[in-house]
Amino acid sequence: MQSYNPPLTRVDKEETRRYAGLSGVAAFPEQLLETACGDALLLARPRSVWNIYPYASATGIIAAPTPLHLSGDKIRRHLDGAKEAAVLAVTIGPALEEEVSRLFAAGEYTAGLLLDAAGTAAVEQAADAANHYIADQAARRGLKARNRFSPGYGDWAITDQPAVAALADGNHVALAVTPSCMLVPRKSVTALIGLAPATVREDNLCDSRGCASCPQANCIARRELS
Amino acid sequence: MIFVFDGAMGTMLQQEGLAPGYCPELWNVENPAAVTAIHSRYVESGADIIEANTFGANRIKLTHYGLADRVTELNKAAVKAARAACGSQTKVAGSVGPTGKFIAPLGELSFDAAYDVYFEQIAALNAAGVDMIIIETIIDIQEMRAALLAAKAATAKPVVCQLSFGADGRTLTGTDPRTAAVVLEAMGADIVGANCSLGPAQLLPVVAELAAACGLPVSVQPNAGMPELVNGQTVFPMGPAEMGAWTAKLVAAGATYLGGCCGTTPEHIKAIRTALAAGIQPAARAADVRTALTSRSQTVYLGAGLPTVIIGERINPTGRKALAAEIREGSFAAVKREALEQVNAGAKVLDVNMGVPGIDQAAAMAAAVTELSVLVDVPLAIDTTDAAALEAGLKAFPGRALINSVSAEPDRLEQFLPLAKKYGAAVLCLPIAPGGVPATADERVKIAGDIVRAALAAGLRPQDLLLDPLVLTVAADARAAQETLATLRAYRRHFGFPAVMGLSNVSYGLPRRDLMNATFCAMALDAGLDAPILNPYDPAMRNMLSAAAAILGHDPQGQLYSTANAGITGTAAAAPAPPADVLAAVKQAVTSGQKEAVAALVRQALTEGHSPLAVTDRSLTAAMNEVGEAFGKGRCFLPQVMLAAETMRAAFLTLKEELPSHRADSLGTVVLATVRGDIHDLGKNIVAALMENNGIRVVDLGKDVPAEVIVAAAEKEKADIVGLCALMTTTMPQIDTAIAALKAAGNPARTIVGGAVLTADYAAQAGADAYAGNGVEAVNIAKRLLGK
Repeated sequence: MQSYNPPLTRVDKEETRRYAGLSGVAAFPEQLLETACGDALLLARPRSVWNIYPYASATGIIAAPTPLHLSGDKIRRHLDGAKEAAVLAVTIGPALEEEVSRLFAAGEYTAGLLLDAAGTAAVEQAADAANHYIADQAARRGLKARNRFSPGYGDWAITDQPAVAALADGNHVALAVTPSCMLVPRKSVTALIGLAPATVREDNLCDSRGCASCPQANCIARRELS
Repeated sequence: MIFVFDGAMGTMLQQEGLAPGYCPELWNVENPAAVTAIHSRYVESGADIIEANTFGANRIKLTHYGLADRVTELNKAAVKAARAACGSQTKVAGSVGPTGKFIAPLGELSFDAAYDVYFEQIAALNAAGVDMIIIETIIDIQEMRAALLAAKAATAKPVVCQLSFGADGRTLTGTDPRTAAVVLEAMGADIVGANCSLGPAQLLPVVAELAAACGLPVSVQPNAGMPELVNGQTVFPMGPAEMGAWTAKLVAAGATYLGGCCGTTPEHIKAIRTALAAGIQPAARAADVRTALTSRSQTVYLGAGLPTVIIGERINPTGRKALAAEIREGSFAAVKREALEQVNAGAKVLDVNMGVPGIDQAAAMAAAVTELSVLVDVPLAIDTTDAAALEAGLKAFPGRALINSVSAEPDRLEQFLPLAKKYGAAVLCLPIAPGGVPATADERVKIAGDIVRAALAAGLRPQDLLLDPLVLTVAADARAAQETLATLRAYRRHFGFPAVMGLSNVSYGLPRRDLMNATFCAMALDAGLDAPILNPYDPAMRNMLSAAAAILGHDPQGQLYSTANAGITGTAAAAPAPPADVLAAVKQAVTSGQKEAVAALVRQALTEGHSPLAVTDRSLTAAMNEVGEAFGKGRCFLPQVMLAAETMRAAFLTLKEELPSHRADSLGTVVLATVRGDIHDLGKNIVAALMENNGIRVVDLGKDVPAEVIVAAAEKEKADIVGLCALMTTTMPQIDTAIAALKAAGNPARTIVGGAVLTADYAAQAGADAYAGNGVEAVNIAKRLLGK
């Protein structure tokens, strides 16, 4: 198991704006967004862990001590040609979501909503940082890292979540999975990162960064794809 | 002179038969002849310096092979094997690689543990007779700092510090070449450089930036291009000829030590040697000797001709009971918040003082600095009179800090100056001597000179020194401020080091301290102050600094000043038209989310004789209807709706306070729940907030609520509506279960369902009365179902 607590010295305001459903909204007080990003920085405790396992494209099996057979065409296609899979778990801890609950209870709805969005931005940034490290280490071995892909994306069943969290050793960052396959703390991410020889053609891979493969067409945070 | 290092070792060993997964350093004792033979090939190819096969010979790395107790043996054997290949001019460098673990707070390894691991290896290499140490392929500046400190303690031999940079020009933990060069030069590295990860093309700008930022020789050992995996083997595409062709460019960029990293071979080294033999000369260098402070990821320069650097003064518990209490309890929440806000307010350096009586200041300083090092990316000034706290802070900080401050008192000189040298910190010299506080500029210059001499004698460099002119209270001494200004001018004449001072002493005991401080600061900037320590929130100070930047030429043509101040005298034309009457004003306050303004407007409306009902209907309800309509048409968005809802809540609370007897009639009761197994309740919370602010009584059962609890609550509360939420495909069936349970119990409540994965079709098949796609829709549906 490898671990990294990525330093987070800013929370992306534009991503927070998007997760709050404010994309393209001009007349919204910037100060509220800035406060949310600042509070998220204070409350987030980014931690990540991962393991890298051999992956068999032909069978869709991650060869961990407890092998995982991937259920879903899109994740299989996404990992097509990968020799290895990094199984990643990232969290920013429970403090932020506790504050969101407190804010709602206190009638501070907007602050709660924006802090929740900033928390999403923060955990994504932490995941990006861990992803960056994994990609860099793989590049030293001639392997190219694919975009990360999480259980629940596309047709990859969310029911693989417990297995993925376990393969990442998520318990080392106090990450738990509920019986209904939700991550606790909620501001957490699990994902697979395919590591493929750079020579493998990637023309047929689907775009995995959430939005393109997500069926929630009306999501307020949906990224407009050109 | 230009020197040539050797190339890769690991791949060469594998070619000689080292099995994948076998410890490379074990061959130093099991097959030293093979190791020597590889070194010999590099020597024959023209390497001036060969690296002993010790890259992974530290305790942590050797643990993976069960060899942790053989550190000394393996390092000594490696040096012996290397020495056996040396010609008379060849030097042997002890190679020191990463531990593979991150130092806290990025990982679990403590700084001291990392230091010990490196000390053990480097001491072994030193005892074995290496000519120099090369610490290489390090991706985190804090790990490099631990290794360099260990090297300086374990050996007097030269130390090369090579970091590994990514394609974005930074190490993986965010350090740029300039910052690395500043930190490592100050800590006593003899050569700085870059290796691994990238090829020569990508490392060229890194070399140039390292060379521009320090006066040290620069080394570079690129990979043979970017690696590719072909048929299960990592292949480096760049051949020797191409590598050789980069030699002239790397030297022109500032490198005088060249070699190879992954994928390079004796042929690559020979190509570099051949290129050099064509007459390439080292590039002319002009060392940057400006005073610089750094964080992990950013360098800040201070001095004459440079923009004024604001040092935030507020992380100081003196006179701040709440902050002191938090620090005493080991909580740094307020410290962190203060740091973040000061940086947002324009502070470029933060002063950190943990001077709470009766606490372990060293532990508090270490904790505070550790927390701040991953929260803000500005350099820190460690502000303490306690040597142990100073060392704890300097050790924990992954950059080059400022020591605030060092007086001419013997204890302070003896304790603080060696720590500054050891950790590469800059020193703020404070002209206070054992005899007391000097009143005149002449006395201060003399004492400052004494500290400067002591600092230089302790091994510090001129660019490590900053001067404090000493600020005394003008209310106590009419000449106090003038002497400070005179001292600043004298400092500039005599020394030329950057000047730093705290301002607030000057105004003690006087009214309008903000005015006094800002005026004094403006005069001091003209007299030679480069970095004031001040309260960055003070508006008078901010305005003055903005103007001063234009006057002093740091803001060309006053462009930033103009941008910041253009709005102050803006025309009223840009403002929206004022509302026609107070009820309209309340409505506008709600629609535009002016939570702070609405209470006064509601009171005004009541004072003017408007009834609570009129305020409720014509202002508040009308506003929420308008907001809801705008949301439906995509003209406003959820956070704006929430702001309006909060404002409406504030308005209702004001109505209740002013007229306790007034009670808005409830439209009906809604029981809300996020279903069993689902822990995401943000959407449900939003619905609850909107419903409450539309006059609906809400009983919120929370998240992860079993069907039987929902049924019981619906019955007990006589719910008109039950709202159910599920976010995940895995919990969606609980919607069916809850609706079925309500029906089975004969409960008459209507049901509204919603959540990310739910659809109208699903809602229909589950037997729900309605599906709501968002919170505003939920409110509208609820009102419709309630017949309102």
